[in-house]
Amino acid sequence: MAKGSVLVVDDEAPIRDILSFYLKRAGYQVLTAGNGLEALEEMGRSRPDLIISDLRMPEMTGDEFCKRVKGDPATRDIYFIILTALDGTASRIGSLTLGADDMIPKPFHAQEVLAKVDSTFRLIEMQKEIKRQNRELVAFQQRVQEEMALAAALQMGLLPKLPGKAQGSHYTHRYLPVAGIGGDIYSILPLPDGCTAMMIADVSGHGVTAALISAMVKTSFENQVRLGGDPLTWAYGMNEDLCRSTLAEQFATAWLGRLDPGSNRLRYVVAGHCAPLRIVGGTKGGLHRSEVLRGKGFMLGLDEQLPFVEHDAEFLPGDRLVLYTDGLVEVEREDRSMLEEAGLRRICAELPVGSEEAADSVITQARAYNQSAPFMDDVTLVILDRQA
Amino acid sequence: MLNIQTRQEGTASVVSIQGKVNFEVTAQLRDVIRETVATAQPKLLAINLEGVSFIDSSGLGLLVAARNSVDKSGGKLHLCCLPATVKKTFDQTNLTNYFSIFATEQDALRGA
Repeated sequence: MAKGSVLVVDDEAPIRDILSFYLKRAGYQVLTAGNGLEALEEMGRSRPDLIISDLRMPEMTGDEFCKRVKGDPATRDIYFIILTALDGTASRIGSLTLGADDMIPKPFHAQEVLAKVDSTFRLIEMQKEIKRQNRELVAFQQRVQEEMALAAALQMGLLPKLPGKAQGSHYTHRYLPVAGIGGDIYSILPLPDGCTAMMIADVSGHGVTAALISAMVKTSFENQVRLGGDPLTWAYGMNEDLCRSTLAEQFATAWLGRLDPGSNRLRYVVAGHCAPLRIVGGTKGGLHRSEVLRGKGFMLGLDEQLPFVEHDAEFLPGDRLVLYTDGLVEVEREDRSMLEEAGLRRICAELPVGSEEAADSVITQARAYNQSAPFMDDVTLVILDRQA
Repeated sequence: MLNIQTRQEGTASVVSIQGKVNFEVTAQLRDVIRETVATAQPKLLAINLEGVSFIDSSGLGLLVAARNSVDKSGGKLHLCCLPATVKKTFDQTNLTNYFSIFATEQDALRGA
């Protein structure tokens, strides 16, 4: 099999003959031309891998020929070596700035040309391999992007449908994953006894793994809720589920709540999650006091033996509940100061009446804390308004 | 980029961390801890968090996994010198009660 094709362009027949002889003997396929024009015609018939061209030729000089080859997207990747009798450094540099890849000064030894052609073909092979690998990478990347887009759409489908309604309350969410797909999840379920079960969780890490686990967290929560019980038993059940099905470094922070509209009480468990805000009378709009629904508890999925604690708070008609994941308050300024819970409370002190408008206002203001680089982590915000 | 230094104090290994511990650097930290545990097989692994400005959930996960792996090999993991911001994160996640935490490195080493 021929090693590759070389187009030799020179107006002097003896030079063409000598180069042809040596290159053919070394196994290359050789094409020849007497000047640039002939060479372009030759290239119309057969595409060489490498061109060796003289500079000074009638009809079309090597300069012009090189410019044409390198100026045409279809041929610019063909390796171009210039043969030049001009021995000044200036003209050599001139040739390379035309776009030629290399040069051989005249007079030359045929062996020298052959050695250069051999090394050039090694380069060409390498480039071909790199291009092939690059094509594969691009195709792979595209496939991954398509799958990610699909997974992201699927994940959006795991979130409650909006506008959300639960006995005597309505809610909305803002879900902003950093990588198109994320580890945040929430769920709100009406219970047969007229209460409402709520869960918001943030799985450690980002991307596909976190997203998979977030789906698992949601399923686990919904299973626990179906079994009955209260936030405390849900927490134990979910912790067990997560300990059994995740790897060493994977766990979730979560807040689990059960709102009883009859008694106006909210029972909840904090599992390492940021404490939600209760805005007293917040659905009326205007200035309102917020309460932090504090509590301490381990993250889910750490250890099956860890204890959880249930807390209890008042939640009256007309109150607003703000659930969120830490990405919302970890907006960091250049001086390293963060928005934090205190900043969110300042924002929540005065919000618009509707839950949609309130959610937009919270996101806009949190983002404004550092406009140039607002959210570095997945952000989820849920606003639940209890009708007055 | 995280700055991590390790040294040996008798049968204890000390890992000092400086910087922001988040998702981007957990792989780097995981390798160091894994290698320290594997090569030195310390009775006590002390992790000094004095220079840590921020730790996110991936970082916490890594520390929990480190504690579990040290436990399994019969050793102990002590944390020390938690800056206020890190302490806050530990409090919020109740990890203050999950780890043995010491005010100074000396205390952490003595607590073996």
